[in-house]
Order: sequence, then structure tokens, then C-alpha cells
Amino acid sequence: MSRTLANIFDIQRFSIHDGQGIRTTVFFKGCSLNCQWCQNPESKAPKSQLYFDQAKCQDCKSCIGSCPSGAISNGAGKSDVDFNMCNDCGQCVESCPNLAFELLGKSYTEDELLDSCLKDQSFYESSGGGVTLSGGEAVLQSEFLQGFLPKLKEAGVHILLETAGNYPFRLLSPLLPYISHIYIDMKFYSEDKHLKYTGSSNQLILENLGKLVEMDFPLTVRVPGINGINTDIDENEKIASHLNSLGISEVELLKYNSLWESKISRIDTAQKQLNISNNEDYLHELKKCYSKYDIRA
Amino acid sequence: MLMKVRPILGVKSSRLKSLRRQLLDAPYELCTQKSYWITDYFKSNTHLFQKKSVIRDIVEKVHYRSYKKSLFSLAKGQELDQKKIAINHKLGQFYAKNYHEHLTSSLQVTYAKALAHTLENMELKVYPDELIVGNCSSKRIGAPVHTDLSGVLLVPELADLTTRKVNPIEMSSQQKEQLEDEIFPFWFNKSVLFHTSQTFDDPALLNDMLSGGYFILTQIAGISHLTPNYQKVIEVGFLGIKQEIKTEIEKLKKLEQSDENVTKLQFLKSLVISTDAAIDYGVRWSKKLSELAMVEKDEKRKKELCELAEMFKTIPAKPAESFHQALQSMMITHVIVHQESFQHGVSFGRLDQFLYSYYKKDIESGKIDDEKVVELIGCFLGKAAELLPLFFERATEYFSGLSSASGITLGGSTPDSDDAVNELSYLILSAYDQMRLRQPNIHVRVNENTSRDFLNYSFEILKKGGGIPAFFNDPKIITSLINQNYSSEDAHAYSVVGCSEWGVPSKSFPAAGAGFINLAFALNMTLGTYRGDFLQDRRGNKISDSTKSIEDVLQLFELNLKELLDVAVTGNNCIESVHANYRPTPFLSAIVEGPIQKAKDLNAGGSIYNSSGFQAVGLADVANSLMAIQQVVFTQKKLTLSEFVAVIDSNFKDYDSLRSYILNRVPKYGQDNLEVDQFSQKVSEIYSRLVSELTHQRGGRYLPGFWTMTTHQGFGKRTAALPSGRLHGECLSNGISPTLGSEKYGPTAALNSASNVDSDLAGNGMILNQKVDKQNISGERGNVILEGLLRGHFNGGGIQVQFNILDQDTLLKARKNPDLYKDLVVRISGYSAYFNDLTEDMKDELILRNTHHV
Repeated sequence: MSRTLANIFDIQRFSIHDGQGIRTTVFFKGCSLNCQWCQNPESKAPKSQLYFDQAKCQDCKSCIGSCPSGAISNGAGKSDVDFNMCNDCGQCVESCPNLAFELLGKSYTEDELLDSCLKDQSFYESSGGGVTLSGGEAVLQSEFLQGFLPKLKEAGVHILLETAGNYPFRLLSPLLPYISHIYIDMKFYSEDKHLKYTGSSNQLILENLGKLVEMDFPLTVRVPGINGINTDIDENEKIASHLNSLGISEVELLKYNSLWESKISRIDTAQKQLNISNNEDYLHELKKCYSKYDIRA
Repeated sequence: MLMKVRPILGVKSSRLKSLRRQLLDAPYELCTQKSYWITDYFKSNTHLFQKKSVIRDIVEKVHYRSYKKSLFSLAKGQELDQKKIAINHKLGQFYAKNYHEHLTSSLQVTYAKALAHTLENMELKVYPDELIVGNCSSKRIGAPVHTDLSGVLLVPELADLTTRKVNPIEMSSQQKEQLEDEIFPFWFNKSVLFHTSQTFDDPALLNDMLSGGYFILTQIAGISHLTPNYQKVIEVGFLGIKQEIKTEIEKLKKLEQSDENVTKLQFLKSLVISTDAAIDYGVRWSKKLSELAMVEKDEKRKKELCELAEMFKTIPAKPAESFHQALQSMMITHVIVHQESFQHGVSFGRLDQFLYSYYKKDIESGKIDDEKVVELIGCFLGKAAELLPLFFERATEYFSGLSSASGITLGGSTPDSDDAVNELSYLILSAYDQMRLRQPNIHVRVNENTSRDFLNYSFEILKKGGGIPAFFNDPKIITSLINQNYSSEDAHAYSVVGCSEWGVPSKSFPAAGAGFINLAFALNMTLGTYRGDFLQDRRGNKISDSTKSIEDVLQLFELNLKELLDVAVTGNNCIESVHANYRPTPFLSAIVEGPIQKAKDLNAGGSIYNSSGFQAVGLADVANSLMAIQQVVFTQKKLTLSEFVAVIDSNFKDYDSLRSYILNRVPKYGQDNLEVDQFSQKVSEIYSRLVSELTHQRGGRYLPGFWTMTTHQGFGKRTAALPSGRLHGECLSNGISPTLGSEKYGPTAALNSASNVDSDLAGNGMILNQKVDKQNISGERGNVILEGLLRGHFNGGGIQVQFNILDQDTLLKARKNPDLYKDLVVRISGYSAYFNDLTEDMKDELILRNTHHV
């Protein structure tokens, strides 16, 4: 019997860029970091929330009466949502024929999620793929995963975790026997910067990374390059030096993706436009920087 | 099998480069050669099959004038009036009384002699650089018109043929005059087209058949669609085949001279005439090549021509002795086939298997190397691209892309169940890579033993665009063939005929492209939302107040589909009986197994395995529609069934929101949703069951298939709105692919939905189009993804899959600047075509077809 439910905001099939083969990526809702540039601003809050894409509105007005708290109004030929009044009940979602509303975050029992994850099993087997746990921060839903992962593993699925690493290790450790590989992010080494840009210290992250290395757990460290924020040589020298001290010889430099900026007007979020450039000129210098520490980037 | 060499991609032969350029630059031209020579033969031998009659001559003249008028009004989309049909019928009876031909089997001999006459007189053309010769038509790229079949349909379009918007075909004024003055007036009352209309009991059937909204029957243009025994021609030569016929003749002569045996002897005599004609044709080629060699100034070319001339001293009469001879013998036979039969789906079979011993012998003796092999195969592939089917204007909507769909099959398994991939499999793909023309079609058979290396090689070829090769799932197809009573050995030897149909090379006459059925129309019959006169005297089974569930709707749908099929099958059986009675194919009969032993023409059921293929069109649309009815009417109860039908009937006028709701919020086939997939499963099961119960003229069964060519466009234009939210006139779904825009969960979901389609009975194949974005499958990593999709789908029960690897950008540019993209080859249905040859609607569809990327 399922003890808890998972809150999941997306399940993406034919995911082929994170990890090997054809994968299904499960996005768990809720995160303990608050990165200003988060690609999935809708992933942060642990509870379900309303998403409204005004561009899809065809002005049929079906939604206006559907909202019990009167958060939806109709102005210049389009509906509009006042997120301050919205209590995320989701009644408007069903009313809209054009899919302008969506309630992000659906509850899944273990068996429901298992069904979704096994739909592409024949493709995992034929391509060496599997399931990727992503988010948000999947590990925050550790209690659910403790019941779920054994079933997924039992079905013969390769499991990969994408994590920010910011939680007490006791949440992660019971999951490790089922996970084959971990992708962990390293955004800053400097605690003050980490605090400033993500709203949280990075002590737990460094601790957890250390423990995983000590266990010799198969992992890949990824550094997301956010132009002008963590792409300076100074900060990367610190990261590189730390990784080197852990004996890590390879990092993956991730390119910045600004697509999230179009999402923030559609949800209730404090995340603001950053207008960060997509310029990737810094990559070359960073690669050199890592190679000084015998790290392939 | 151990691979000695893995050919490197991209090695370019300058000879192939030049041939490719010649073929890309050649105009599309009408070929009247066959029509001209058989008319010439018939006219100078009229005494053989008809009595002199002044009255008949006058009647024919007057009749032709009025017949022409009818063709013109047909071309404008007008229905034939019943009176005219009746008069035509009466005249047909009059001609029948005044001909001998239809009553005696001398017709077979006459047609065999007419073929011999064509082969004796047709122009022999040798083009620069080619090492394999033989011209199927009198033009470099030619569309032969078959006046003995249905060429007369071209009458109203002759004036615009060279200027029509889609697929213009060049023609000289002399050709036009010959057709108008000599050829069409002679054949209009002797052709398959004419006899077919005579054979229909119900005059309304002709209009139903020609309306293009309910079903399409193609065989009025010819049957073809088979893999002849080219292997036998190579191995024993026409002398060997003739010997076999003679043995049968001797056996028959010893029997009592009953009417039946006399007829059989006549038939076998026509086969001897045909094989003799093939032998003489080789001699003609030898002389022609010697003459050309004599005047050739370039020493190197002179030598090549001499070698070819030398070759033709023995082939195709005698067995081929080298790899080059084998290819040449096969191609010259292919040329002869097309002086008799319509250019559609005449396929080559498993080239890498039956040419392997020739390859091996020549390689081991050092006679040729792999580079030379690629060059020879490239020349061979170029030849196959010289043929164009000739479609009259409306037919181009249904069969856009000008494919004559000659298939080559690679890989699969050996009789010992090992991987059949060998060096030749690679070399054939490598040669294709250098030619990259719109045809032939290349198909790869895949099973668990198929080498990964070969699959990767196929993917590298595929990734450069063009949609070739397509992949077929061996275990599923072999099982399906065994279920159709093929012997296990024969089933394991299957090859792909034309686009996607299966047959056993040389043993089956699958007549795979016989008909296309519009499933959506059967649904419209059920809802009472169709337009047009179909069933004017019949009654559809319409929904009523007692229709209380989706199962009730399905039950009515099944009754209507059965009615639709019955009408279509009646029509097709008439067409096939006309072929059997009026248009024998003695040459083709000599190179397929069965007709010699049975002393029976191929068209009359002579081959060992007989079937006719009927394809279902619009599977996804019907599944989505049933799902929409289920959700809107029966579960959510938004409207009653009759209210919903009224909305659909109005083409969703003033119901934009409801339509958006259906388009966005009702699950669609292709989304791996069990509820809707259960409808596609059910509909495919009903269709397959109904079709499989039908028998055809040649003594076999009808086989259900799920592929569409571009009939989904042609039907779509004439199909009323559907519950799925599809508006009147929009295109239907192709093959077993989801409807445009519904693959929102990516390719794996689409493939899963497709593997739920009932394939147990679908013996005529199914086609799944998967468009994949180039950037997703680059490099070796991309091969892992492609193999994953392919094997994942096949392990899940899929039958066939073809990938169109393209970027949207290129297509958009090609539409804007056609001249810069003359060689852009794209995958359409079970075949590929030049993008420029497509109708504008089909271009749009290709641009819209879902691209999967993350």
C-alpha cells in the first residue's frame, strides 16, 4: 500500500539529453533552493499551483464564472488571473477548452507513477535508457521515493537522480541502493554567493557531495554557467580546486537557458526577469581553468 | 557472416555523380512508345481478332466522339449520366458480338506478339557513362501511357499535360496527334477501362468509383505490384525458362485434346513467344551496342560498350556469369516487363541474397573490387529511377510524388535463421548513398540477429535525409505470412513489394495496391453527415434514438464499413476479371512461379500465392472521433448524440469552443492513451476481419493493409467534418500515423499507440511515419536513440517504421526556392519522392508533420 503521495509537475517522455539512452524524466515539485535563474520557476513551491498562459486564451469567457474566489477577470479581449486572489483550487482548468490553465503539481500514488514510468520500458531496454528523477528536488520527497524506487528497480529500470544536493543526507541515503547514477549541481563554492543567489548556504551540498565521493558513488558534477553570476574565473578556480581535492576529474558545464523568463508571468512566483545573456564566450576560459586542476570539462 | 570490408560512406564515383546529375536534370516526358507499337501491331493484324464491318466502323467513330465528351465532363468532376452509361453498355454488347477476340484464347498470343513487335521496334537508348543499359521508356525520364489499360483517361488532359501545375509532363505535338488520332480512338472500346465499365452491373458503381471520396480502385491502371523471378532469369536465362515451358507443352500434348487443354496450350504458346521475344531483344541490344562502340571516339567508353555488346551475346538468353551480367540481365528483364505492364510496384526482391554468389565469385577471382561493385549497383539504381507512373490530374492528389515504387529488400535471415546481412547489403546502401534519387525504395528486414553495425550503417544513410531505408519487423511479418498459409520456408524468404507490402519473391502475386477505403466515410455514413450521392439506392445504417452507447455506434459503423467494402470489392472483382479475360500478361507470367505449371495466366490466378490488397485510410481520425463521441456524448454528456451530430454536420459553425475542447481535451491516438487506443485497436480489428473474409477473382483472399500513399489527402478533400474536430476538407491521417499535431507526448508514445493497432490479420502491411529532428540524432549517440526507437517499437509489436529525418528549415526553404532543391528527397508514404514533385497540400503536410525534439 502507498503510504504517501508524490507531487509531480511534469513527466517528460523521450528525454534524450540527460543521461544515456531514451529516458522518462519525472519532475518532482518543491525545492529547497531559490535560484534566481531557475529554469523551472514552477518547480520551487512544494504545493500545487495555477499556471495561466494568456497567449492561449481565445476569449471564450468559459473560465470567468468557474473561479470561486473571483480571481479571473476579463479585460481587453483576454482573461486575466489575479494570483493574489487565486487559491490554486484548479476549477478553471477544466473550464477552459484551450488549455490556457494548468494546475501544476499532480498527486501520484506509487502505482500510478510506476505505470507512467513503465510505459516506455521497451524503449529503455532497447536504448540503454531508464528513468531520471528531477525537479524541483526529488530527494525532498524521500518518503515517497523509499516506497517507490524499490518497485521501479524491481521492474528492471535504470534510475538516475538529478539533484541540487541541498538536504540532510539521511533523506538521500535510503534511496541510494536503487539509484545507478547521480547528477549533482555545483553552482558556487563561495558560501556568501550561494546564499545571495540561491537563498541558502551550500554547506549541506558540499557535505553531501563529500559523502557520495567517499562512498565512491557513480556521479557526475555539473556546473550551470549563469553569465555574469558564476562564470568568473575566480569562482570557478574555487570550485575546481575543491573538486580536485575530492579527486573528481570531470565536470559537465551546462549552458544557460533563458526560456524560463517567459514562464514567470504565467505563475505566482517571486522570480524576476534577469536578462542574462546567452553568450557562451566564457566557456573556453572555463575549460582551461578546470584543466589546470586536471578536470575535464 | 564476417564482414571483410565495411565500405566508407562518402567515397564518390565520378561516373555515378555524372549519372545522378543527368537524371536530376532530365525533364519528365510522356512515353508513347509501347502504345504506339502495340497499336501498330493490332492495327496491322486486325483480321486476327475481328471481322470486317462497315457498320461497326461507323458506330465506333460516333461512339468515340461521345465517349470523349463523357471523359471531359468526368475530368471536370461531373457525374456520368445514367443514360450515357446505359448506351455505352449497349454498344459494348454490340462490339462483343462483332469481335472474335473475347471468345478465344488467341488474345494471349496476340498480346505476346504485340510485345514482341514492340521489342523488335522500340528505340534502344544508351546514355553517357552508364554501365547497365536498357530503357524502359523512349525518354530519359519517361511516363509510359498504357492505352490498353486506362490511358484513354488522359484524353481530356492532353492539352494541359505540359503546363499543368503539379507534375507537368512534356510531350511533342507529334505524340499528341498520334494519341488523339490513332491510338485512343482505336483502344477506347478495347481497353481495360472500357471493359470494366461494361462489367459493372450497377451503373451507379462507376460514379461511386470515380467520385474519389469513398474508395479508390487503382487496378484499372494495371495490377503489377509483385516481385518477378529475376533470380531465375539470371540463373537459367530465358532459354532455360523456355525449356521449362516446352516440357509442360510436351506433357500437355500427350493428354487428351479437351477444350481446356487446347486453351492451356495456346497460353503456353504465348509464353514461348514472349521468351523468344526476350531472347531476340538481347540480340538486338548486342548489335546496337556494337554499332555504338564502332563509332565511339573515346577509347575508354568504346571498351565499355564492347564489353556490354559482348555480354548481350549471351544474356538474357543464357545464365549470367558475372556480377555485372547478373545486374544487366535483371535490368533488361525489368525493361521488358514494363513494355507489357503498368509501372507500379514491380520490385527486385532480396538483391543482397541472390546476387551474393556472383559478387563473391568475382571478388575472389579479382575481377572486380568493392568500388566497382558500388559503381555497378549505382548504375542499376539510376536505371530504376528512369520510370515515372503517369497519373491523370486527379490521381496526383491520391498518389503524389510520382513513385513507381520498385522495392529492394536487404537483410533479414538466411534459411538457417542466421543474420542475412552480407557485404552486398552494405554496398547496395553505399551505392544508394551516392545516387540518392527518388527511387527505388530500399527496405531493411530487422530481427534479433540483425547486426548492430549494419543498423548503424543504415542510420548514417538515413540521417542524411531521404527517408531510405525503411525498417520491417521480421518475426511479426513472418508470422503474419504463415497465418496466410504461406509455407514457413517461403515466409522466411519474404521481400517487400513496392512500398510496404510483403510477398514471397516470384511466388506471390499480391496485387497489393488494389484499393483504398476511406474509413472516415464509413463513420460519416453512420452519423448521416456525408455529402454526395453514394448509396443513393442503398441505405446506410444511421444512428437513431436507440443508439445508446459507443458500442452501438461501433456496431453501425461495422455494418456501414461492410457495405462500403462490398461495393468496393464488387468493383475490384470486376476490374480483376477484366484483366483475366481481356488483358493477359504472357511475359510476366513466364517469370513468376505458377503460371507455367498451371498453364494459366498470372491475371487469371496462375501464381502460387494470390491475394489482393485493400488499404484502410483515416484510422487515427476514426479512433479520435469515436473517443470524442464517447467523451462529449456518453461520459461528459455535454450534448446528446443528435445535437453533437448537428454540430458536426454544420462543420462546427459557431461551435469553436466545443471544437477547441475536442481538439485539446479529448485524448488522441498517438498519445499512448489506452482509452483511445482501444478504439484504434477495435476499428483496425473490424476492418481487417471484414477484408479478410472477402475473396477475389484469382482465387485468393483480400488482405487488409494500413498505408495510404497520399490518398489521405485526396479523400480528405472530399470528406465531411468529423467528431474529432477535423473540419470538412482537411486531410486525413496517413498510414497508421497519428493525426497532425496530436503527438504531444513524443515519439515513444506515438510508437506505443501504433503497436496497439491490430496487426494479426493486416497481411498487406502498415506504414508508420516518424519525423525526427536532425539535431536529436546526430553522431553515434543518435544511432543509439534510433536503434532504441526501432527495436523498442518492434519488441512492442510494431510492424514497420520509417524515419523522415529533416529540419523544418530546409523544407521551408525548398518550398520557396524549388530550383535550389531539385535533389531534396523526402519520405511520403511507403516511398520517397523529390519534394518538388509534391502537390502543395502534401508539401504543407510534410512541413506540419510532427517533429519530435526536446
